[in-house]
Amino acid sequence: MDQHNSSGTPQSLVIPMQGTAGAGEQSTVRPVTRAERIKSIDTIRGVALLGILMMNIPGFGINWDFWNSILTGPRAGKDYYTFAIVFVFFEGTMRGLFSMLFGAGMVLFMQNKHELPGRPTVAEYYYRRLLWLVLFGVINAFVLLWPGDILFFYGLCGMLLFAFRKLSPKWLVVIALTCVAFGMVKKQWDWNETREKRESYTEAMAAKKEKKELTPEQQGAIKMWTEMEKSQKPDTAITNENLRKMQSGYGTIFTYFIPRNAGGEIWYMYNEVWDLLVMMFLGMALYLWGFFSNRLRTSTYMMWLLIGYGIGVPIAWAIFDKGFMSFGRMGLYADSWSSSHMVFAEFRRILITIGHASLVMLIFRSGIIPWLMRALANVGQMAFTNYLMQSILCTLFFYGYGLGYYNKLKFHQLYYVVFAVWIFQLIFSSIWLRYFRFGPFEWLWRSLTYWKKQPMKL
Amino acid sequence: MSLHPSTPSGTAPDQVIANEPVNLSRLFSLDVLRGIALLGILVISIWEFGGFTSNEQTFFRQGTHGGNYKLLSIVSILFEGKMRALFALVFGAGIILFMQKKEHPVPLAAPDAYIRRQIWLIIFGVFNAFVLLWPGDILFQYGVVGILLFAFWRMPARGLLIAAILCTLIYCGKQYWNYADDKKGYKKFLAVTAVEKKFKQDSTVRAKKDSFDRTKDTVLLKDTLAKNKLMDSLARKNDTLTKKQAGEKGMWEGMIKDLKYDSSKTVAENKAIRASYGKVWKHLMQRSQNKESNWLYRTGVWDISSMMLLGMALLGFGFFNHRMASSRYVLIAVLALAIGFTLAWFRIHFQSIKLADYARYIEKYPVPFNQFFPIERMLLATGYASLVMLLLRSKFLNWLWQALAATGKMALTNYIMQTIICTFFFYGYGFGYFGRLQQWQLYFMVAEIALVQIVFSVFWLRYFTMGPLEWLWRCLIYRKWLPWKIKEPHAITDSPAL
Repeated sequence: MDQHNSSGTPQSLVIPMQGTAGAGEQSTVRPVTRAERIKSIDTIRGVALLGILMMNIPGFGINWDFWNSILTGPRAGKDYYTFAIVFVFFEGTMRGLFSMLFGAGMVLFMQNKHELPGRPTVAEYYYRRLLWLVLFGVINAFVLLWPGDILFFYGLCGMLLFAFRKLSPKWLVVIALTCVAFGMVKKQWDWNETREKRESYTEAMAAKKEKKELTPEQQGAIKMWTEMEKSQKPDTAITNENLRKMQSGYGTIFTYFIPRNAGGEIWYMYNEVWDLLVMMFLGMALYLWGFFSNRLRTSTYMMWLLIGYGIGVPIAWAIFDKGFMSFGRMGLYADSWSSSHMVFAEFRRILITIGHASLVMLIFRSGIIPWLMRALANVGQMAFTNYLMQSILCTLFFYGYGLGYYNKLKFHQLYYVVFAVWIFQLIFSSIWLRYFRFGPFEWLWRSLTYWKKQPMKL
Repeated sequence: MSLHPSTPSGTAPDQVIANEPVNLSRLFSLDVLRGIALLGILVISIWEFGGFTSNEQTFFRQGTHGGNYKLLSIVSILFEGKMRALFALVFGAGIILFMQKKEHPVPLAAPDAYIRRQIWLIIFGVFNAFVLLWPGDILFQYGVVGILLFAFWRMPARGLLIAAILCTLIYCGKQYWNYADDKKGYKKFLAVTAVEKKFKQDSTVRAKKDSFDRTKDTVLLKDTLAKNKLMDSLARKNDTLTKKQAGEKGMWEGMIKDLKYDSSKTVAENKAIRASYGKVWKHLMQRSQNKESNWLYRTGVWDISSMMLLGMALLGFGFFNHRMASSRYVLIAVLALAIGFTLAWFRIHFQSIKLADYARYIEKYPVPFNQFFPIERMLLATGYASLVMLLLRSKFLNWLWQALAATGKMALTNYIMQTIICTFFFYGYGFGYFGRLQQWQLYFMVAEIALVQIVFSVFWLRYFTMGPLEWLWRCLIYRKWLPWKIKEPHAITDSPAL
């Protein structure tokens, strides 16, 4: 991968990167030392990293039918309330926060690094770093067997972001909002198609009632709609196969996941990439405004907290509520709503994400729980390690080749596992960083990027 | 991706390191090769533009004789995949040239200019696919893969060559993997049919017993027959295929059906394309999306990156600027063409066997017919490039090379122009000739378009320094209106090359 040793230039080609922070080596391309890190960013990243597990845990530990059982079940009980809280307050927002920080991190990586003539540019290190990230994502999905991996997409999105890094925050917000608008149009478009299908179905059914002979198109319309309704209901054959496979050994789950992982990476990258890009652009803008580096006034953070939660949460509740209505009553829903409730999902996500970020910043600034903030900063500093560790811990806990708890816990019980992992990661990160500069996977990633073994011990 | 930094340059003249400046912002040979690739691409694209679909091709391939079959085979051996490969080869070399360019019209770091160039290419590709309605577009994929390969441009030529070979091998592996999936599907199908056969046998046995019982004239005949009937209905209930088995059977049967020529498919496709813009748009939408997502992820990324990496390596070895001895070019051409054509011939041969009876093919052959296609096209593209390099050296047919270089300089313009001409000629909102021309007529069409493009390019470049889309591309990259008219007769042309 690396070739700076053979570029034919006469200069010394060793990259200075030792921990002699503050010495005259600041200007070269090298990893950031610990002293330079911005604590508030690490803290938010820690929150996002731990928060992501809240959204991922159902994916790790429970069959997708849980969704069905909760949505058709009574709107009471521990499972329902857990589901409601997680969905209304957190759905998509932790990934959003993480994406924002990824965008901010890109600007950070490119800043304060100066080019040396005849040597690989900062941009090249940046792209090498992202290529490795893509590879780590593939490993996380296909080897560690976590189909919900996001590293793959982050790597690819990061390659696009580069071209936008010099834009002013205002323009970045404009671009982000354009992405949102694009997503909204697409959702509305899809919804229109659903409604068209519904309309032709209703017409065909009316004709059928009048005992008229149906045209092939009308028969097709009926078939299409009923199949769509059927596909939303759980299929016991598929569920049972899933449960059986998930209790099997590594090899079986490995092959079982290959098409799922490949399909997911294709579909998500091509169709849902907006979801990540929006947040990354916003993150870049917020970083440039000083939001994440604790440079805004308390009142500003306060205002964003109120705006974010004040508008975001009601929308989130409406979406959650409508979700119940539409579930299993697709036809009724399509008849009565000309626009899907999901159209505003992206705004809700942005607003609540900013609300979360402001809240963390306010707590950080107030200094009320310094020990927790420190621990969170440690988690955030080792975000890459902790993210992969979540895959390792959870797959080993739930999958058949580990403890095999897959689908054996109730929905709310999954969150006991989340708490356990959180506590473990908070403690582990704090202890690890007492002895080492980077998390183990951060170290590996950096060493691969600079193609040179990085110093590890403090 | 050599782990150990290779020895510095100077060991041999052809082991020059890629990042040693070539001192030419534009290589004549690359323009010529790009022009050839660009015109050659249409020989294959015209199949899809003009309605000579794979279904129609199957019709001839299942016959394995006749003029149309021979023509199709020859074109497939000479052109299919090779021209695209050559295009990617030149594109790869262009990456390094672009990165080494010292002068930009506005002060902009090379990486920034490069990434913007790629992103605009992606956008051109989306436009070509979804607005001009060409699902076979490759600009999108070139844009994406070019970004992925950015981190490699400084790699020594030998490392790039190894990377190119690795990508080709992965591509071959993928071909095999798809075949292995088919094989698995066939095995499942056989298992299901065996079960079905057993059901049938059991029911014959029961029927035999029943008729035998009827011959016996006993008091209990009525009871026996009733019992037989009950047993039969119970057995029938158990003897139906499970949903999974039926699915496995249907999967294989569906695939076999897809491989067979089906005239109704042609009729449907002709109707769909000879329609209004809106209808064609809807019809091709999914195909374009599939090419940009599924194909790119599963095949394209290896298909394109292997050739781009090879192009980068060849530039480093001095292949494109005549730093190799003539004997070296001869050697490469002879070896590459000999092996490449042999592989191509076998591919055509085995493809017909597959189309005749896929089940038998699977039972008989360990690898798919296109197992070595990635190697075949890599060798042939390289072989063609060597031949052209030799001819360029001989100064023979100089006017032709000048004309082809002009075409190659305006590759983006010409590529998009092919889409515009062909969609307008074949699609319903234009002249609607889709599916109305014979195979040989399509190739005449290609020759005509090639002629038009060559003449157009030569004339255009008399008055302008670059093609219109090249100019637009460049203005977009540097966010500035740049001059493009030729004021003096010998202005230096310096447009971004595909």
